[in-house]
Amino acid sequence: MAWLCLFAILLITAETALVSRFPALLRNFRYQSLCLALLVFLAAWREGSAELYIIAFLLFSLKVLLIPHLFDILIKRIGSSDHLGLFLNAQVSLFLVFILGMIAWFFSSFVVSASAYLDQLTLGVACFVMLTGVFLMVSRIKALAQVIGLLIMENGVFLAATIIPGGMPFFIEIALFFDILVSVMIFGLFIYRINAIFTHIDVSKLSGLRG
Amino acid sequence: MIKRLGILNAAVHFILWMAALYFFVRVGAGNLKLSFGGVLYADALSAFLIFTTATINFAAALFSVSFIATDLILGKITERKALYYYLLFNLFAAAMFLVPLINNLGGLWVAIELTTLISSFLVGFYNTRHSVEAAWKYLIICSVGITLALFGAILFTFALSTATGIKSLNWTDLLAAAKMLNPNIVRIAFIFILVGYGTKAGLAPMHTWLPDAHSQAVSPVSAMLSGVLLKCSLYAILRYGMVVAQCCGAPFYTNLMLVFGLLSLIIACIFIITQRDLKRLLAYSSIEHLGLIAIGVGLNSPLALFGALLHLFNHAVSKALMFFCAGRISQVYGTHEMKKITGVSRVLPVTGFAMLVGFFALIGFPPCSIFISEFYLVSAAFIGGSYFVGVLLLGLLAVIGAALLYHFGKLLFGKPPQPAISSVEPYGNWLAYGFLLFFIIGLGIFIPSVLQQGLNAAAAILRGE
Repeated sequence: MAWLCLFAILLITAETALVSRFPALLRNFRYQSLCLALLVFLAAWREGSAELYIIAFLLFSLKVLLIPHLFDILIKRIGSSDHLGLFLNAQVSLFLVFILGMIAWFFSSFVVSASAYLDQLTLGVACFVMLTGVFLMVSRIKALAQVIGLLIMENGVFLAATIIPGGMPFFIEIALFFDILVSVMIFGLFIYRINAIFTHIDVSKLSGLRG
Repeated sequence: MIKRLGILNAAVHFILWMAALYFFVRVGAGNLKLSFGGVLYADALSAFLIFTTATINFAAALFSVSFIATDLILGKITERKALYYYLLFNLFAAAMFLVPLINNLGGLWVAIELTTLISSFLVGFYNTRHSVEAAWKYLIICSVGITLALFGAILFTFALSTATGIKSLNWTDLLAAAKMLNPNIVRIAFIFILVGYGTKAGLAPMHTWLPDAHSQAVSPVSAMLSGVLLKCSLYAILRYGMVVAQCCGAPFYTNLMLVFGLLSLIIACIFIITQRDLKRLLAYSSIEHLGLIAIGVGLNSPLALFGALLHLFNHAVSKALMFFCAGRISQVYGTHEMKKITGVSRVLPVTGFAMLVGFFALIGFPPCSIFISEFYLVSAAFIGGSYFVGVLLLGLLAVIGAALLYHFGKLLFGKPPQPAISSVEPYGNWLAYGFLLFFIIGLGIFIPSVLQQGLNAAAAILRGE
């Protein structure tokens, strides 16, 4: 089952390179987070750990329900167009993401020994997710896409944390969730301000400060 | 009412400064290692950073009194916004105090992220096109950096749990088990940490957010950003660096610090020469000084580390003074574009004098304290046999000094603009300048034994002794 979740995350992440509209990107993020929550839930079930159950629940409620919902509200309020604005077209994006996947796999096989195959695979997928997040941030024009790229990157980091036996200390995970929620709100607020002052959320046009 | 609130705020930060001084004398000079339930931890290094933080916070609180009141009179902010400023100021200060006290590396990450989130509001405070743009870049770039750092922290934890079976993110546990960790994983993890926290620390080439954020933030906050915030991230790098040095030997870690330090110095040098904006000039100078501290850490001898730590404090006080002066000047001249600012010494004699001393401090002219720390750093390079680093350092410092002389000469002594503007210096500014000048000149003449003991203890911790 864990394999299936990882495979699903891999496919969903690769597909994010192809989407050009915001609702589709948000939907991909939602599905990716759902798979991640399921993966943590499976680990909780396997280890019978109450802490992991709570983390799976928090992942689900925050990243699958609350944060996408907040973005929906934000999009309605600023009334921006759905287009993400691609610096690179879908085909080139997919090709580059494929290369990022190769790099991620090379990296994970260097860090984790081949005997712990599931760990190696998890870290590989986690790095792939992180790199794709960064890729989205630099290759998409709208501020909203940058924030989703960052959240996708954070999903990758969470996925990487699952290879640590027993996971990360519980209160740190809670602090991280709190931090993500606060940062999403602050990002939302700034997008709102940018839209109010500049009448667009096109970050390629934020070039008043140079040198 | 806002002025009274400002005075109260300064009084609170004065008490905190006294407490930090006491803490530094007890823990730093006494070389104690305190642990509170495994969550909090303090040693000479943390005590020193807390003292630096408290010093800059107090000076910024003093300067804020009249600065915010003047902004209110000028109609740049509303009364409600001024209240909001003091709230954010204190939240920001609290987050920075938390950073050196946390033992848990995950907690450290959360505290550093908190400093970014809170200060982003202070960068975008004036809600203009430029300030919102700067705040956005600051948030995005630092968030990416810090996410990479979190990945690094996870790799460190993975290395610890696979080597020892301990499930912990505590720095003390990591250091104790350092020799058992897999060096390959630790090396990779540290690169993530260095790039991640290095972004926030303003090390080149990850520094791109820094000039924007420093130039657009409220001036007392620019001083806090440059004086302390950058060092909080550097502190995180140093803590991980100690583990790396124990695990894979010091050269891997110190060489990386040297490379990033020299790169920062070179990039800062180029941008300082071509700069047109006063606050951006000061921001690039911060990158230069952060580079110097990184070089000191990279040289890794007791003398170099002593110099680097002393430089950390000296830069904080000198740069805070310069940002205060820049803030005052931009309030009176209505701009921080350097070609529109001339004759400061005649228009604002007190600020002009403070800026002149601050300028001498920044270029490392005796008897200013930066001269002493830079002297230690350059000597350490030559004594340690790093002649290339030493010569490069001297060359770059000379070029930067000449560029600063060119910029500040015109700014301070040119012909004042017509019609002449005149302004009386508020008492709060006198106090803030005086407080910082006391350290800038005082430490250039004499280093008290308490500070010397504290810095030696912190340098020994950095060397893993």
